[in-house]
Amino acid sequence: MMRSRRVLLGGFAVMPMLGALSAGLPGVAQAAGASGPAAAAFIKNSGEALVAIVNGPGSKAEKAEKLRTLVNQIVAVGKIGRFVLGRFVRVATPAQVTEYQKLFHELLSYNITTQIRAYQGLTFNVLGSSAGPEGEMVSTVISRPGQAPAHVQWVVQTIGGQLKIIDVVVEGTSLRVTERSDYASVIDDHGGQVSALLTAMHQQLARMRAG
Amino acid sequence: MGFRGSVLAMMAGLGMAGVLAGCATPPPRSNVAAYRAYQQQNDPLKPFNKASYRFNNALDAYALKPVAQGYQAVTTVGMREHVTDFMRNLNEPGELVNFMAAGKPRDAGTALMRFVLNSTVGIGGIFDPAGSLGYHHVHTDLGLTLAGYGVPPGPYLYLPLFGPSGVRDATQIPADFVLTPAAAAPPSTGLSVFNYSSDALNVVNERAGLLGTLSNIKATALDPYATFRSLYRQHRAAELKSIHRHDVPTVPAWYPPAQRAAMQRAVDQKYQKGS
Repeated sequence: MMRSRRVLLGGFAVMPMLGALSAGLPGVAQAAGASGPAAAAFIKNSGEALVAIVNGPGSKAEKAEKLRTLVNQIVAVGKIGRFVLGRFVRVATPAQVTEYQKLFHELLSYNITTQIRAYQGLTFNVLGSSAGPEGEMVSTVISRPGQAPAHVQWVVQTIGGQLKIIDVVVEGTSLRVTERSDYASVIDDHGGQVSALLTAMHQQLARMRAG
Repeated sequence: MGFRGSVLAMMAGLGMAGVLAGCATPPPRSNVAAYRAYQQQNDPLKPFNKASYRFNNALDAYALKPVAQGYQAVTTVGMREHVTDFMRNLNEPGELVNFMAAGKPRDAGTALMRFVLNSTVGIGGIFDPAGSLGYHHVHTDLGLTLAGYGVPPGPYLYLPLFGPSGVRDATQIPADFVLTPAAAAPPSTGLSVFNYSSDALNVVNERAGLLGTLSNIKATALDPYATFRSLYRQHRAAELKSIHRHDVPTVPAWYPPAQRAAMQRAVDQKYQKGS
């Protein structure tokens, strides 16, 4: 059991840094023919851009700002946010949905900026791509100094004519699904109140700002 | 085996405590959405599970994590990898038995080759020459074997010391104690010392590999307990798929070339070679 847990948790070794780029995704796949090689090239370029920012010059704040811009370009944040909210989108008021999306964006930004140190010295290799149920699955191996290399798959869709990341799969675990369980649990534990989720997100943000 | 025996006894005791602690109250069936959510969570033992989760967290914060940090400071990545390889090799015979019981001949053959090669050429499993030769490790255990038979996972279980599990998957804990080379050796003081130290080293080595990861999940998740539950279930499903995917039928060498090629194509197509 301990041994299996090692395998299980070992898969999440890259989660800290990917948590930033990950989160969730949309229910309906509208993969408008993101071709395999194009998706692989997109992931390669995105990864190189990320590495260049992290290992490049500038203060932590400057790097954080650049990273935020990059993430907005390559990650379908809004779509991921809707997926993570899942079935609760039907019980939430329009105002709550708007607030949720705003918080989701902000949390993502904070997650990224607190991870800058974790990305330091990161290298990655694109292995190839294959068609998945939700879009092109691009396989990569990510290595960090002092850590065993991890196999990570990126799910890429064409959204509005542009390639975007909609999910990250680490050792068989999808980050969008994981985050959805996390958020749903908060709502379910509070009698199905979406407001409880928003409160929890606010608290999380406050913690991140403070820490 | 005294240590392992006492752990089992402790587990049984805590299990009783869990039953006494009672189950979570399901929402009324009339509340369709809430009832469905409750069923999806499949976590009726939540009060017990959450108590174990808190227990493990406290244990981790005050004992395991500091030790793992010290261990990480005095070891290199390479050394930790060799420890991982060594522990994995000890696990290989148990996996071989499970693969045979699950009717996965190719996976069983791979496990056997790995154990033979790594125990000899790999100097008792410290190195992994089998992996370099293409015999990659595929994980299995009794829980996954039962899953292959169609046994459902059952309710979620978070166990003291052992962490995330399920009613089906928990069966592998006693099985792991039996399916290890140390269980076949005659009892002796030396063996007990080896068992104690290898168990402890394994736990610390694992924890060291997860230092950044665990604190990060705990920091970013709104409900870390639910997040670990989801990660555990997804990971088990992925392991099951991996076993199936690696159990590729062998095309017999004595078949005529045309028939071999056709059969190989069919196999590749079915198992999506390289994925």
